[in-house]
Amino acid sequence: MLRTRLGLLLIASTFAISAVSAQPLRINGSTTVNPVVVEAAEILRAEKKATIFVDTQGGSSGGIAALGEGRAEIGMISRDLEPDDATKFPKVHFQATRIGTDALALVVSKDVWQGGVRILSRQQVQGIYEGTITNWKAVGGPDRRIVFFNKEPGRGTWEAFAKWLYGDPKKAPDVSHPEVGANEEGRNKVASTPGSISQLSAAWADQKTVFAVAIRRLDGKVVAPTHATIADGSYPIARPLQVVTDGPPKGLAKEMIDLLLSPRGQALVEKHGYLKAPAAGTKKK
Amino acid sequence: MKLAAHRSAAGAERRGRRPDVLRLAAFGFSAIAIAAFVGLVAVFAVEAWPFFRAQGISGLFGIRWSFRSGRFGALPMIYGSLAVSLISVALAAPIGLGAAVFLSEVLPRRARIAAKVGVELLAGIPSVVYGLLGVLLLRDAVARLLRPFDPISGDTLATGGLLLAAMILPTVVSLGDDALAAIPSSQRRAARALGLGKAETILRVVVPAALPGLGSALLLGLGRALGETIAVFLVIGRQDNQWPERLMALEPLARAGQTVTSKLGGSETFLAYGDPIHWGALLALGLLLLAVVAVLSFAGSWVSLRRVPRG
Amino acid sequence: MGKWLGRGFLFSSALCALAVLAVLSIALGEIAGRGLPAFDLAFFTDPSAGAGYDGGVLFEILGTLILIGTALAASLPLAIGLALAATIYLPRPGLRRGALSALYAANAVPSVLIGIGGFIVFVHGLGWGKSWLGGGLLLGLMILPAEAVALIERIEALPRRYLDAAYGLGLTRGQVARSVVLRQSLGGLFSGALLGLARAAGETAPILFAAAVFSGAGIPRGLKESPVLALPYHIFVLAQDSFSPAGERHLWGAALVLLLLVASLSLIALPARLRAHEESRHG
Repeated sequence: MLRTRLGLLLIASTFAISAVSAQPLRINGSTTVNPVVVEAAEILRAEKKATIFVDTQGGSSGGIAALGEGRAEIGMISRDLEPDDATKFPKVHFQATRIGTDALALVVSKDVWQGGVRILSRQQVQGIYEGTITNWKAVGGPDRRIVFFNKEPGRGTWEAFAKWLYGDPKKAPDVSHPEVGANEEGRNKVASTPGSISQLSAAWADQKTVFAVAIRRLDGKVVAPTHATIADGSYPIARPLQVVTDGPPKGLAKEMIDLLLSPRGQALVEKHGYLKAPAAGTKKK
Repeated sequence: MKLAAHRSAAGAERRGRRPDVLRLAAFGFSAIAIAAFVGLVAVFAVEAWPFFRAQGISGLFGIRWSFRSGRFGALPMIYGSLAVSLISVALAAPIGLGAAVFLSEVLPRRARIAAKVGVELLAGIPSVVYGLLGVLLLRDAVARLLRPFDPISGDTLATGGLLLAAMILPTVVSLGDDALAAIPSSQRRAARALGLGKAETILRVVVPAALPGLGSALLLGLGRALGETIAVFLVIGRQDNQWPERLMALEPLARAGQTVTSKLGGSETFLAYGDPIHWGALLALGLLLLAVVAVLSFAGSWVSLRRVPRG
Repeated sequence: MGKWLGRGFLFSSALCALAVLAVLSIALGEIAGRGLPAFDLAFFTDPSAGAGYDGGVLFEILGTLILIGTALAASLPLAIGLALAATIYLPRPGLRRGALSALYAANAVPSVLIGIGGFIVFVHGLGWGKSWLGGGLLLGLMILPAEAVALIERIEALPRRYLDAAYGLGLTRGQVARSVVLRQSLGGLFSGALLGLARAAGETAPILFAAAVFSGAGIPRGLKESPVLALPYHIFVLAQDSFSPAGERHLWGAALVLLLLVASLSLIALPARLRAHEESRHG
């Protein structure tokens, strides 16, 4: 009798243990948020023996899709949630938690920077994107063809770009440019292609291989993307770094998000060049 | 050589011996295998249906692909696939078949075996490694080579074609060698006895006799080129809607493009599942690719598996 | 034909062969040259770290081995079944061509389509999410036709007298299949399987959709939601980074590991295949 009881207890506890450790945490999404989350995952794995999978298939929109289709518990996005997300996945209650702030930079290759292009206005960027401006000399640079590497639509960086230019990503015109996916790919393409420009997370512009231009705002003020200008809102193209869950986060997902919001997690955010999440109650820009 | 089941053996089975478990297993497993492949095609057809219902097959044959505006014109991608594959066959055919001739007809036995080993090694290089070589080596070389065309970067259709040529080269060499080797040596001896030189023997006797097999080698190489995803994805620039103003021009080849496979292997596939029409369009593309590759494969088989009515 | 024209033709065929050799040497040379510096014991025993650039490729190697092992186990019974059905149990004349044509066509199915099919069936349909089993089954499906063809060709190459003798002794087809055919053609099965494994090890598309993640997976536990890391996917993701000096050595090292794995699998099978090949030369 005792043996049976012990046996049942053993079986039950095995189930309990395996139930707890068997549920992996799946994370997918933005390559901007990825470096922070990967390091946070390493911490959580070491401390809690948790099983956490991280990937970046499809960028921010891929993160939303994975979350919406039940392929992930956390989606990483480098933009705000959009009405389209809810329309596409009506059964999912997307809840975003902001873990940091980043900005969108327009980065140019070395020859363009050294050729004198340090500032661009929104109008000029729009012209370049739409193909009405095709040579750098039209914007104060060398006599060279402009090569625009477009972030894949669907990437958070692209959405922020389209929102800045057109107010709504859906209003962006249909243009075709060579595409780049992840932040790394974008940076490396621009670095290795003379005369090129692309959208990139500001934290990834190292000013050695690729150079972030300052933006001339509508009011004439020229703002370069620095932590200060992003924080105080004077740089016009800031965007939030967020992790998204279906409903309020629970279980391992909650532990991950708590870690990301904790001082340790926020230190990781800063380590990778981003700004911390604004404290609760601060006005978001 | 046919393995005909002897009537007596089959008869013995029918006369009530123990049921042949192996036979049941063989048929059972065959059924599973066939069902898996048929199922694959069926799954594609089912998932592509919402797109076909909404836009018909002609929906794929437009010039613009822009999923945000519901346009799924795949002609530029089809052009890209064809351009890249035809370039690769155009390069790999003469070189590969020439090498096959050398391997099969000229090299002595030891050297031929060593050469076959080399070809096998080439054939085994995974496509992602070819892609890596393409990204880090080929792109710069092509950018320099194509300077007269003023390319944006080394990510062009031409780069894809060049890389694919290297990838299908071992297939062409190996299958070409098989085709040439299958010609009986009696024919070569007869030709030499008639006074033909070695080159003449090859050109006038062996190669014509092996033409079906050689043609099949090229068809299969083309099929492989059309189906290659990863390597092409990495070097082609992935620029949509690159529809050339003139189809037969060389200039579009020096620009970035998109193939059916580079689109399917790209990130759009990870976004599209939730939208039945977008997803359906991508799968319709997949069906198109499947159909073309299947036709090429069957053509290659038909050409080479035909019974040659000669001793 | 003039003597010099003939010589010219032979010479140009030699040049073609040289060109192929050149491609091979450049490819292998670059991979080996750039990848060898990354090789130390830690590269093989450490898991990857950082954003994937640092550390070793331990779990990528393990994951690849798990995937191809599964592929082998899944594909072999089916390949044997197909081969036996086509050669012994149903050898009607038209069937051979039809069967071989179908197998060649199945072999030519682009791997990206198999990957997407797996995405639909395994990840979503069966609800397995990314799983090593799903990936292994997909790879098995991919290599199955080639294995079947290899076995069929080997069976057909068996001397007729073996079978005549066996049937003459009154053996049933099943007994003949077991004791004569399979036993004698094991070599073909073996080499077909090894080549299949070599191909499966290098494929990216099927596992990209259905089995692999970029970070976080180790030894998979269970069936559902149990992805693995894998060498081809690892290389594919890092390759898109191109030019980044940070990970270049690691990247080439991973490519070299994959190449060595694939090459050893195909090279083991090579002697048997070469022998069979030379035997069938020149009719």
